Amino acid sequence: MISKNVAVVEALNVKKTYMLGKVPVEALRGVNFRVNQGDFVSILGPSGSGKSTMLNLIGALDKPTSGTLFIDGVDIGRLNDNQLSDLRRRIGFVFQFFNLIPRLTARDNVELSMSIADMGKSERRKRALELLETVGLKERINHKPAELSGGQQQRVAIARALANNPKFLLLDEPTGNVDSKTASEVLALIQNLNKEHNVSIIMVTHDEKLARQAKRTVKMFDGEINSDVVN
Amino acid sequence: MKSIDVFGYSFNAIKLRKLRSALTTLGVIVGIAAIVALLSITQGLQTTITSELNQGLSANTLIVRPSSGNDIGGGFGQGISGTGFSLYSNYTTEINSLSPDIESSVAVMSRSGYIQTENLKQSATIYGIDFNQYAQVYPTFKAETGYIPTDPLENQAVVGTRINQPGQNGTIFFDAGNIINIAWVNATVLPPVDESYTAVVAGVLEKVGGFGSNGPSDTGVYIPIETAQSFFGTDQCDMIIVTLKDSDNATVTSVSKAITDHFSNQVSVTSPTAMIDMLSSVFDTLQLFLVGIAAISLLVAGIGIMNIMFVSLIERTREIGILKSLGMKSRSVLSIFLAESAIIGLIGAVAGIGLGYGLAAIVAQVISSGVFGGGGGALAITPLLTPTVIAGALAFGIGISVIFALYPAWRASKLKPVDALRYE
Ligand SMILES: Nc1ncnc2c1ncn2[C@@H]1O[C@H](COP(=O)(O)OP(=O)(O)OP(=O)(O)O)[C@@H](O)[C@H]1O
Ligand SMILES: [Mg+2]
Repeated sequence: MISKNVAVVEALNVKKTYMLGKVPVEALRGVNFRVNQGDFVSILGPSGSGKSTMLNLIGALDKPTSGTLFIDGVDIGRLNDNQLSDLRRRIGFVFQFFNLIPRLTARDNVELSMSIADMGKSERRKRALELLETVGLKERINHKPAELSGGQQQRVAIARALANNPKFLLLDEPTGNVDSKTASEVLALIQNLNKEHNVSIIMVTHDEKLARQAKRTVKMFDGEINSDVVN
Repeated sequence: MKSIDVFGYSFNAIKLRKLRSALTTLGVIVGIAAIVALLSITQGLQTTITSELNQGLSANTLIVRPSSGNDIGGGFGQGISGTGFSLYSNYTTEINSLSPDIESSVAVMSRSGYIQTENLKQSATIYGIDFNQYAQVYPTFKAETGYIPTDPLENQAVVGTRINQPGQNGTIFFDAGNIINIAWVNATVLPPVDESYTAVVAGVLEKVGGFGSNGPSDTGVYIPIETAQSFFGTDQCDMIIVTLKDSDNATVTSVSKAITDHFSNQVSVTSPTAMIDMLSSVFDTLQLFLVGIAAISLLVAGIGIMNIMFVSLIERTREIGILKSLGMKSRSVLSIFLAESAIIGLIGAVAGIGLGYGLAAIVAQVISSGVFGGGGGALAITPLLTPTVIAGALAFGIGISVIFALYPAWRASKLKPVDALRYE
């Protein structure tokens, strides 16, 4: 069993400043934050408070302007383009708007992340099928995103995020675009992954009720963390 | 990402944009087709001409003519040069003694004339030759019907295949054994008079083709040289064909020099090898020029590809963001874009080669059917598609496509995932 105290994410005074033309926009103003292996953290905060910015950094999609961010033990500020790509393969990211490739079927979308990680054809086909089965989409493997409901697309995105056995799963507003029934199904799925498979979860949400389902809730406001409580 | 997966992904993207990809590919197809058509036509033409020349002019022959510096003969040479020098049929003996490398030599008289039968009047070139010697020099001097008399009677003649079948369409106006009138307009007297005599056709030659310019010709009428001398009223001949024992360059050069020296530079000696060499180099230049023009169309196709790649880059910014967020490396993104254009280039090149060869075949058909040959069958061209041309066209088609995609592909690969994902 993995120790509770192994950090998968550790942010030390992380700042992120965007330049809007010549005007600097401080999206993160010095964030300190730690997520251990097996944690289930929800990030709550008003629009524009920096939640997505934070998630993008944790997902190695961007680098902090200053401060240090350790992901899986490495300082991402020191990684080059190639190393960042390698790191991303070990992180499961579920985007707010799913971000599936429209011309690919559900199965091909799930396979894509494995083919990017150099997995062979037969192996990834098999695994894609298993994953889609896990998220309850066995009947929809040959459907393209446009032929799926929002909740189904969401689940394809989750299956894709899980494909490369990620250390942790990042979800940006996973229930923001689906009805409440689907939302609770998705939540159950996430909770199961966390409990049964010890996958660390970081979930951004607007929804207080949903946030309370996590083990821990982090509240952000104006680029800073102003509370971090265990539920 | 594995290369096979890169290609699979690219191919899928092309398939989705069928019409646009097809139009982009069309640019490559046209460019490659133009190049391939031009190359296979010119190469086919070159091969035809060289081989017919080789046939018509054995490589070990030299043609001796009065120096053409300022020929006053006009028309079909009268054998008199500006210096007043003339070649005579009996010079063959002199020439034979000039070098041990000389096998034999044969004098040829020629005049423009015509032949006439009951229902045909056909213009022809009338040659006075020694049948035996001439047949030795030119293997194409061979009878298809009838025979070539070894000891001809003075009224026997041999004719080319376009003399008795001018249309080359199966209609035979006369054949071996028939009688024809051989005629020419004697302009050495004033006023010019039509002179003619009756001859018996001993044989009709096998088809020679369009380029046996100094050898047997399909439009030639061959009569014994003695007959020609009395008919044309002169002992002068138009050329002497010298056969050498070998066709080495050194032999050709030394014998040529010996002959010109002997006649104090009043004759010109040409060797078919030199002529073929010159013709080849003219063809090479022509080819380079034509292909250069065709290449410009490929350049235009390349710019089209670049344009499409940029449009594709903009349209797929978000997709690139997704791919990168899933951990795709920049170089794989680059490969995907390059693979797309390589596939377009490959399809374009393959289709272009097919289309180009097809065009060449049609053009060759048109030329061979006589639009330019002046009446049929003079110049039978088979377009020639060499492996070099195929390989070159493939390399060029793919190369141009990839080169023009480099910059857009590089731009795509440099997109940052966060920025690309935010793109609407
Ligand atoms: N690429 C960017 N360029 C400029 N400003 C940006 C950029 N990305 C984010 N910002 C700004 O940073 C701040 C934080 O944005 P972020 O997207 O992290 O908010 P959020 O908490 O996810 O909001 P929401 O709940 O609406 O998704 C905002 O003020 C936003 O305008
Ligand atoms: Mg957000």
